[in-house]
Amino acid sequence: MIKKSNLAFIAVVLIVFTLASLPAWAGTIIGSLTVKGLRSPKDVVVYISKGPVYKVDSPEARFAVDQKNLSFLPHVLVVPQGSTVHFPNNDKVGHNVFSLSRTQKFNLGNYGPGESKKIVFDKPGLVELRCDMHAEMSAYILVMKNPFFGITDKKGNFAIPDTGYLKGHGVTSVQELPAGKYTVRTWHEKLKSVKKTIVVPKSGEVVLKLKLKRGTPGSLYKR
Amino acid sequence: MKTDSKKILKLVIVFLIPLFTLIISSCDRFGAARATDRTFVSGKVISGYGPVKDAQVRIPGQKTFAVTDKDGRFSLSLGVLKGDRFRVVAGKEGWFNNGKLFLRGKNVEIYLNPVPRVDRPDYQFLSPKVCAECHVKLTKIYNQSKMAHTTSNPKVLQMYNGTDALNNAGHGPGFRPDNPGNNGDCVTCHAPSVAATNPKSHDLNLALFSPAAEWDGISCDYCHKIRRVVKSETSPSGFKAVHQRQTPSQGNSILVFGPYQDVSVPPMAASYASVFEKGQYCSVCHSHKKNLKNRKTWDWGKVYSKAEWKGFGLKDASVLPVQTTYQEWRQWQASLVKNDPNKGKKCQDCHMSWRKEMLPFDNHIVNGHVQQMWGTYRSEQTIHPHQFDGGTQTQLKTAVSLEVDGKIEKNSLVVTVFVTNTNGGHWIPTGETMRSLMLVLNVRDENEKPLKMIKGKRLPDWTGKGKRVLGNYAGLPGVAFAKVMQDAKGNLNVPFWNATSIAVDNRIRPKSTVTYQWRFALNDADSEPTANASLIYRPVFKNLAKSKKWIVDDIKVTEVAW
Repeated sequence: MIKKSNLAFIAVVLIVFTLASLPAWAGTIIGSLTVKGLRSPKDVVVYISKGPVYKVDSPEARFAVDQKNLSFLPHVLVVPQGSTVHFPNNDKVGHNVFSLSRTQKFNLGNYGPGESKKIVFDKPGLVELRCDMHAEMSAYILVMKNPFFGITDKKGNFAIPDTGYLKGHGVTSVQELPAGKYTVRTWHEKLKSVKKTIVVPKSGEVVLKLKLKRGTPGSLYKR
Repeated sequence: MKTDSKKILKLVIVFLIPLFTLIISSCDRFGAARATDRTFVSGKVISGYGPVKDAQVRIPGQKTFAVTDKDGRFSLSLGVLKGDRFRVVAGKEGWFNNGKLFLRGKNVEIYLNPVPRVDRPDYQFLSPKVCAECHVKLTKIYNQSKMAHTTSNPKVLQMYNGTDALNNAGHGPGFRPDNPGNNGDCVTCHAPSVAATNPKSHDLNLALFSPAAEWDGISCDYCHKIRRVVKSETSPSGFKAVHQRQTPSQGNSILVFGPYQDVSVPPMAASYASVFEKGQYCSVCHSHKKNLKNRKTWDWGKVYSKAEWKGFGLKDASVLPVQTTYQEWRQWQASLVKNDPNKGKKCQDCHMSWRKEMLPFDNHIVNGHVQQMWGTYRSEQTIHPHQFDGGTQTQLKTAVSLEVDGKIEKNSLVVTVFVTNTNGGHWIPTGETMRSLMLVLNVRDENEKPLKMIKGKRLPDWTGKGKRVLGNYAGLPGVAFAKVMQDAKGNLNVPFWNATSIAVDNRIRPKSTVTYQWRFALNDADSEPTANASLIYRPVFKNLAKSKKWIVDDIKVTEVAW
């Protein structure tokens, strides 16, 4: 027989462990940025460079890079690690999507109008897309370690995580960013990357202001 | 009478009703064809020598075709087509394409004539202006290419004559001053119509004034008179174009070879030639070898692997591979396994593909009123715009890619750079040996102060000594990719006619990545240094451009940072 006092002790220990295993209260990062040398502060990726790693577990998630009028659309696609990306050919000529980036090498081969192929991106990093037949066609896929990234709107505003963007692509289960200290970095094809350290509170928002200028972006998840 | 009327009624029932039924069913099949009917064409392809086997038969512009059997017979299902009259065209290599009107439900017989194997060397090639009358867009695009103006290219003439940009003599190397009394073989590719008309050696300066010249470069008619390409020991490239130029007895229709088996219109006497769909077609000029004087040999083993040397197809070490673009592509293709997605890719796929500036897509290769009369609606996928782009910013931007990685180890920073030939089906840079690609590394600390390099490659002197802002990179951390020709005295970057060996050829092989590493001293291990890597394409070596007073801008291909 276990004594009542022991039972109470076990109960207290269990409660403490259960609470400890739950995530801390989560906050949200919101912010805005200004850019020098570009017409619009749109489409800058703002992300947590060191944070928890989550794979996307949303069967409904749908990311796509379209091929139309000898272009990849969008030119930059941001996806959480583990996402499937579709490559429909909605053009009038055949295309051959491939990448020789160290993040993920693949070659979908030549396929014609109306056809589509897909691939899972499960390693974080930058993937440069090319078409083997059309020299002007290039695009980027940014494979992120977790959903803690935001993409700026035309006014330069962003939120991390960007629930609107993720839900728009069918990612329904978006985790919240646990409270803690983080480094935020930026990536844009034509802007020099900047970084800033912030503390995310247990509740509420933390506001971030960034200034960017034209230049070469740094590596994604620079150590 | 009653008996007679009964008999007549019986006759009506026995004969007229089945006849009526037959008429109705016949009308359904032939007379009043419905838009939902499938169209079947069957018939025979014949010639003065009997039935033609293996000819392709199709409705012009359509993907579906039938192949004739040994009796020349074919049967073609065309799907749903409106109307009762169609033009059906047959074609086969070595024969003129020919078409005939087909009436729904009737057999069709198409007569083919063989292309005579009689060439006419004194034929006057037609000016592209003639072709531009109908092929308006194709010729307009072609006219913007370098290939269309190879004879009048000032840089070519200045290299030939040893003159500078202002045509002052005695500036930089020159084929004529360096080889007195020798006209060289330049016209073979720079003024091919002149060379094809008179196989003797020609002065390139006079090529434009030759009665055989029809244009200031490679003309449409010259290329489309090529029936096949063969190996040739006497040709500077090792390959020769076999022409078939029409004789007066063949009439006024323009004899042309091309990739279509369905062109059968009055102004043209068109014939299909499979070489137009092969990389081999480009070998005639995108390859150049040089026999060394007095059969001297050079040590190729210091520069190339055995497989690469074998791939150049040279007879022995007394031959210098000057330009090997075609062989580079052929080696790459030969190295691929059967199911590799790149297997079968050829020069035409990239250098004759659509460009954004040509959009919207066009479905005709002829324009204007000719399109109304004889134009064939074609899929965009079967049209090859004649842009022949190469060495331009558009082409280079995606041809090579760059990645950079950094690692801080105690008091040093290790920078690794990966350079990949992503889109080139040949080595990069390729072609003329005055081209180079430079990887320039710029590593700085948090305060933008350059870090001292401890270990790694530096750019060679020939990338330019002097201020960096003026495009001089000698001594900076980096790598230069080029085929560096060397003369007997050890001078580097010499033109092919003075070269006796190749000092280095580190150009980047197709779809392969080359990796380089540098180590820099780091004063503060906790600082955050940055490494910027740039890839710069230089069309002409610095010293050569300077001696010729050429203003040739570098092209920044890409730049990445860590």
